[in-house]
Amino acid sequence: MSRWVVRRLLTSLLTLFFITTITFALARVVPSNPAVVYIGPLARPAEIARVTKELGLDRPLYVQYVDYMRDLVHGNWGTSLATKQPVLGGIASRLPATLELILVAMAMAVAVGIPLGVLAAHRKGKAADTGARVGAVVGISMPVFWLGLLLQVLASQWLNILPPTSRQSLDVAVLHPVTKITGFLLVDALVTGDWSGLQDAATHILLPAITLAAYPAALVTRMTRAAMLDVLGQDYVRTARTFGLGERLVLWQLALRNAIPSTLTVVGLSLAYLLTGSFFVEIVFDWPGIGQYATNALLNLDYPAIMGITILGATAFLVINFVVDVLQARLDPRVRLQ
Amino acid sequence: MSVTIDSPDQLPAPYRSTGATSRAFRVLRRKPSALLGGGIIVFIAFVALAAPVLAPYPAQGRGLADVPARDLPPSSLHWFGTDHLGRDVLSRVIFGARPALGVSLAVVVLAVLVGVPLGMIAGYRGGWLDEALMRVTDIFLAFPPLLLAMVISALLGASLLHAAIALVISWWPWYARLARTVTQSLKHEPFIDAARVFGVREPLILTRHVLRNATTPILVQATVDAGTVILAVGALAFLGLAAQPPTPDWGLMVADGRTTVITEWWISMFPGLAIFTLVLGFNLLGDVLRDVLDPRSAGR
Amino acid sequence: MSALLEIEDLRVDFSRDGHVTSRALRGVSLSVGEGEAVGVVGETGCGKTLTGLSVLRMLPENARASGRITFEGRDLLALSTRELREVRGSRVSMVFQSPGTSFNPVFAVGDQIRMVAERHLGLGRKEAGRLVVETLGSVGLPNPSGVMRLYPHELSGGMLQRAMIAMAIICRPSLLIADEPTTALDVTIAQQILRLLRQLQREQGFGVFFISHDLDLVGDFCDRIAVLYAGRVVETGATGALLARPRHPYTRALLEALPGRAEPGTPLPTVPGTVPTELDGAPGCAFAPRCPLVVDRCLQERPPLAPVSNGHASACHRSDAL
Repeated sequence: MSRWVVRRLLTSLLTLFFITTITFALARVVPSNPAVVYIGPLARPAEIARVTKELGLDRPLYVQYVDYMRDLVHGNWGTSLATKQPVLGGIASRLPATLELILVAMAMAVAVGIPLGVLAAHRKGKAADTGARVGAVVGISMPVFWLGLLLQVLASQWLNILPPTSRQSLDVAVLHPVTKITGFLLVDALVTGDWSGLQDAATHILLPAITLAAYPAALVTRMTRAAMLDVLGQDYVRTARTFGLGERLVLWQLALRNAIPSTLTVVGLSLAYLLTGSFFVEIVFDWPGIGQYATNALLNLDYPAIMGITILGATAFLVINFVVDVLQARLDPRVRLQ
Repeated sequence: MSVTIDSPDQLPAPYRSTGATSRAFRVLRRKPSALLGGGIIVFIAFVALAAPVLAPYPAQGRGLADVPARDLPPSSLHWFGTDHLGRDVLSRVIFGARPALGVSLAVVVLAVLVGVPLGMIAGYRGGWLDEALMRVTDIFLAFPPLLLAMVISALLGASLLHAAIALVISWWPWYARLARTVTQSLKHEPFIDAARVFGVREPLILTRHVLRNATTPILVQATVDAGTVILAVGALAFLGLAAQPPTPDWGLMVADGRTTVITEWWISMFPGLAIFTLVLGFNLLGDVLRDVLDPRSAGR
Repeated sequence: MSALLEIEDLRVDFSRDGHVTSRALRGVSLSVGEGEAVGVVGETGCGKTLTGLSVLRMLPENARASGRITFEGRDLLALSTRELREVRGSRVSMVFQSPGTSFNPVFAVGDQIRMVAERHLGLGRKEAGRLVVETLGSVGLPNPSGVMRLYPHELSGGMLQRAMIAMAIICRPSLLIADEPTTALDVTIAQQILRLLRQLQREQGFGVFFISHDLDLVGDFCDRIAVLYAGRVVETGATGALLARPRHPYTRALLEALPGRAEPGTPLPTVPGTVPTELDGAPGCAFAPRCPLVVDRCLQERPPLAPVSNGHASACHRSDAL
């Protein structure tokens, strides 16, 4: 098993290397001039020339490449052309907000999706099943950015409240902020017993998380239903029923445990989707995560920041796939005991 | 005496490929979700084609502003209200069907045209060609979904064309993989062996026999993907990485109304609803297609 | 002495979209006495497995059963699902044909058996675990506490079938339904399993409803035999008497077709034709088209299952000729 882990790590690093190289190459194909992005479009040619030299953009491509890769490994991910701040720091400071949103959304999706999928399979053809299937196909058809706006409109029209934006109310953030331990507001507030802070953070994360959770919840529902239908037709389920075991035990333990690997695959795919999906939710809800950082980087052609985001995204994706594969192997007793 | 066969039509009947697709269409006609999904798609296609005639304010649909009439709520004059530049939202949504359908279908078709031949050849030949294809697709598929398209589109310069190119680049590996898998499973079917034995040359084998049997899974995947591509185009447009003003693109329209969505909700809501409806149509149709065609497809 | 299990005129129909598509069982009547082993034989598709499943009412969604199945004084077909769950696995249990697919692949074998014991015997986890170990030992599995922790894919076919038997007897049922328990096993293993079943039957005194297509096997194991054809019982009697002198042409044909009884050097006898599948069929005996003793009466009048001697019944107009 550990030989497989090592081989996986090596291929992942190789893939990461390729991705970085490709993105670097793409960034150099850029029609725009990074120096211009750096100092602004109104600069004079002399200024542009100076900055070009300063940023090392006049050196041969392969020199720039080698330097960049070397810096990467040493933790220097370059400086953002737009913010003039280190890219790594910029990403790292905004990461917890995005991570918290993604994790809460994923938890919601699983908490809703799995039971719904199980019930739909158990009551195949009946009202609950049709309802779940309709809900699921609607869930995968909604553009996430539209859903976020829709929820805001509904909240303001039906509940007559101004839907909260950002992560915390202004007065909480300024007057009695939550002590920072992990960077996850919900966790920090809980741990320090800051109940008003917890409530504030929870009300702020609610709508964005629901928006982000809709698509994965639909996917999880569909896959769980399909896998459960397959499992419920197996001999061993018939055996359990023949021996008089209760339907609840059969469904939620004996059958579901066999359907979980398929659901896990979908959870992995959903997390990958959430990596970029979160950008949109963050824009719509003014959430201070990497979404806005990334979008600005893309629109401004801030190529060090774009590189940083790409490397982060690809790494996260590789990590997710790796973890999912490890979990799959652990879940299947036929593999685990090798 | 040797027999040479120059065309698969000269092969004896049992060795021709099956017609799963035509069988399927007959069944589809009876399923309600297929009818609903297909109906939605046909309707929106019609709207796209007849846009200049259907739109109450076609010039505004294309981009003409009428600033004094801006931010008007829905009324009998403007069923969907007007946007920040006074343009009739209904007309904009109607004209928006054109880029939505056009670009998405173009992306899917191109991704299939690029990916399927590569996948088929790699799957049929095997060997280093296959390995190479697998490694290349691995790299592409290692990018988180949509991120690659965002980066490419941004770097090329945000426009509808560049967004389309970016999406084709992101999507072709899926079809290459799919075509490869299907080809590999078909490679060992008796009728392919028979064709080879009779001397049919490889390009013909691939195009007539393999392709005809591969169309069903590819068609199913393409229909399911069409919805996802529409969402992707809309997403890129929302970020400003695709269509630029004054193009009537649904994603762009949603972005336009974003900051004032509480007060002038119609500017974002209706274009978004349009995206949702079209994607729903493709998903409904794709689901039914998959259910109907999967149990019957050969070798899966 | 009242029978342990009494099946009376059991009929099972399959339907789709509201109308009947097949009449699988057309009035099966047979009984199993206490501690008695009854073999139920017939070709594939004659309904023997379905009869066994009907006792536990483990029928597919689109099947409807009618008739009476009396067990321990109650009509099993009339019980509610909840009441039935009390019977399943504890008063009546079943051993299936393929143990490999009948166990849940992601749970240890011991855990699955333990669940049955916990459910029906009201035992706690530890007590139930001890009982499982004990039962696994009584079915001849070496190192039962080790086997308990193993997963199905780690056990051979024979061991798994023993485990399945353990699961079936752990609650001390009075009736065991064995559906082709040895068909999927090697000949030597099959013999061991049969010996085990016979031993357990002697020790615990349960009745056995033994479903098989193999007359030789049933001949060795069972006290009485019931022969099924096209959804009906055509002959039933004590094993010795029935095998020595079958009173139904179908039974005789089955016996003659056994490889062990064939003359070396001559072609193996077969029964020409196939089992009828039409929904309501022609009037008269279902076996008539294939019967060597057929007369006109056979084609018009369906022969009832009538006694031909003590404890021996046959559904044939010409049973005297045999």
